[in-house]
Amino acid sequence: MSKFISIAWRNLWRNKRRTLITAASVFFGVFFSVMMTSMQKGSFENMISNMAKFYSGYIQIQESNFKETPSVNNSFVLSKKLTKAINSNEDITSSTKRIETFALASNEEKSYPSFLLGIEPDKENLKSGLSKYIDEGSFIENGSNDILVGSILAKNLNVGVGDSLILLGQGYHGVSAVGIYKINGLLDFPLPDLSKQVIYMDLANCQEFSSLPSSITSNVIMVNNTGKITEVMSYLQTYIGDKEVIYSWQDLMPEILNLVEGKESSGAMVKFLLFMIIGFGVWSTIMMMMNERQRELGVMIAIGFQKGKLLFMMLVESAFIGIIGVISGIIVSYPIFYYLFKNPIVLTGEMAETYESMGFEAKLAFSVSPEIFYNPAITIMIIFMIVSLYQIYYVARLNVVKSLKS
Amino acid sequence: MNVIEIKSLTKIYNGGEVKVKAVNGIDINFKQGEFTAVVGPSGSGKTTFLNMLGGLDRPTSGEVIIGGVNVWGLSSRQLIDFRMNNIGFVFQSYNLIPVLTAGENVEFIMQLQGKPKKERDLRTKELLEAVGIGDRIKSRPSKLSGGQQQRVAVARALASKPEFILADEPTANLDSSSTTSLLELMSQMNKKFNTTFIFATHDQRVMDKARRIVTIEDGKILSDEYFDRE
Repeated sequence: MSKFISIAWRNLWRNKRRTLITAASVFFGVFFSVMMTSMQKGSFENMISNMAKFYSGYIQIQESNFKETPSVNNSFVLSKKLTKAINSNEDITSSTKRIETFALASNEEKSYPSFLLGIEPDKENLKSGLSKYIDEGSFIENGSNDILVGSILAKNLNVGVGDSLILLGQGYHGVSAVGIYKINGLLDFPLPDLSKQVIYMDLANCQEFSSLPSSITSNVIMVNNTGKITEVMSYLQTYIGDKEVIYSWQDLMPEILNLVEGKESSGAMVKFLLFMIIGFGVWSTIMMMMNERQRELGVMIAIGFQKGKLLFMMLVESAFIGIIGVISGIIVSYPIFYYLFKNPIVLTGEMAETYESMGFEAKLAFSVSPEIFYNPAITIMIIFMIVSLYQIYYVARLNVVKSLKS
Repeated sequence: MNVIEIKSLTKIYNGGEVKVKAVNGIDINFKQGEFTAVVGPSGSGKTTFLNMLGGLDRPTSGEVIIGGVNVWGLSSRQLIDFRMNNIGFVFQSYNLIPVLTAGENVEFIMQLQGKPKKERDLRTKELLEAVGIGDRIKSRPSKLSGGQQQRVAVARALASKPEFILADEPTANLDSSSTTSLLELMSQMNKKFNTTFIFATHDQRVMDKARRIVTIEDGKILSDEYFDRE
């Protein structure tokens, strides 16, 4: 066996240039595939993570009608049993109660619709690091009567820290909800859509504003690993009441999921074309390798080499090319994309504006999920398996006499 | 004792509407230790005859019996193993495996036979010394002259201790002195190991060395003569 592998290895270097060119095509295929997927997946992960952190969480518990009709009338009281279950699950990194409602924010001159969030400031900060996004002023404490306003909304309303806003909304069962609140800080989020409309208020304050004593509209949960979402949801399912429903971020933000799936499909198409080109390149190399050695193969069979062993040797030979290309592709790409994963490219100028206008954070984030690296390797393996069908066909129909004459 | 018995061996090629009888019902036997030249003009059928004899080209009809085994009754796998263990080949273009050294080329067939390393090494050395290139054991074919490559091919053919060696135009690519020394070598091997040699050739020098000359024309044996050579 080792002799066959040794012959295969030596055969590989009979035409160094051709071997290196073919291995290079595999290398670039792996590299570009990793680059595309890392950037795409990184952007999606970043977007989903931002949305989950600042808005939906990875899991939410809501009153069963709230998703269809997001009104404070569809609120619920988080039971002690459920709270205990949440607190005792090791995969849950944070859980915070919220009231989500809408209010018209007005000052003396202008009014803008806003998305009002009643939060537990300490827990919300733990979950999303909200205080890091204070652009001006300071964060609010638990029990505070002040509010935090998105920087773009504040700019639109022409207000700043220390100014007051009148909030006008609808409370529980149609009760009028009105209040005047001092702005304690301005928040500048990486997601411009949030900065345009969000107002944060202490939960108790918001409950008073909405006439909702002790009720909430949602409980937002974060997990330590997105792969655990389904497992945690199943766990919580046994503790929720009849009127409560558990949602994942995909349920709450289907448009994001659609966007991700759409982009992934178009990315897969580009990668398919890339690998098709590589596949035909590899195939032509294998064909050349076999055709120019037809007589040699004939001699080997004539002197006693079984076709199966010959085929094994040929397959090892082509597998070596694939392995060289794949391993070098991964070795070169991993450190580059790991660095970019740790140090995302912050966009500036028009590019940044374009990203922000689409509601994305203006940075190119990268991912280093293992599948980004092993998927191209598997694809290359499949390509070589398909090409090996040609080798099987070629060896099976190899005519010794004709080969010796060639 | 007959090493090879050939009965009514026929090969017909279908060339469109015309059928060509390349070998036409040959009956012949070869004895242990013979040094035979199969001669005839181009297209006479001698290479086709040798290929059928060597288990490379399936006859249309007839039998090739080697050591009591009907070669063409074997399966493809059995036939390849049979060739490995019973037939040595020397080709016109040497046809050594280019990525293996001279020693490895000789050793490789014994490795396929599953012989132990110690025996392989010993026999490789012995054979390469016997063919006069013991000092080139680690040279790749590309570093050897045509004559040296053909000597390695002879050593390789002998390595598996075959019943006989088939040599198709082995001197066609060699210069005069290489041809003389190669023929001398094969004659020595024939005497030393009592191995049967069968050549297909045009070369008068080969015919001059052969102790039996079989002349083929139009796929039939025209003459079969024995010579007493010292």
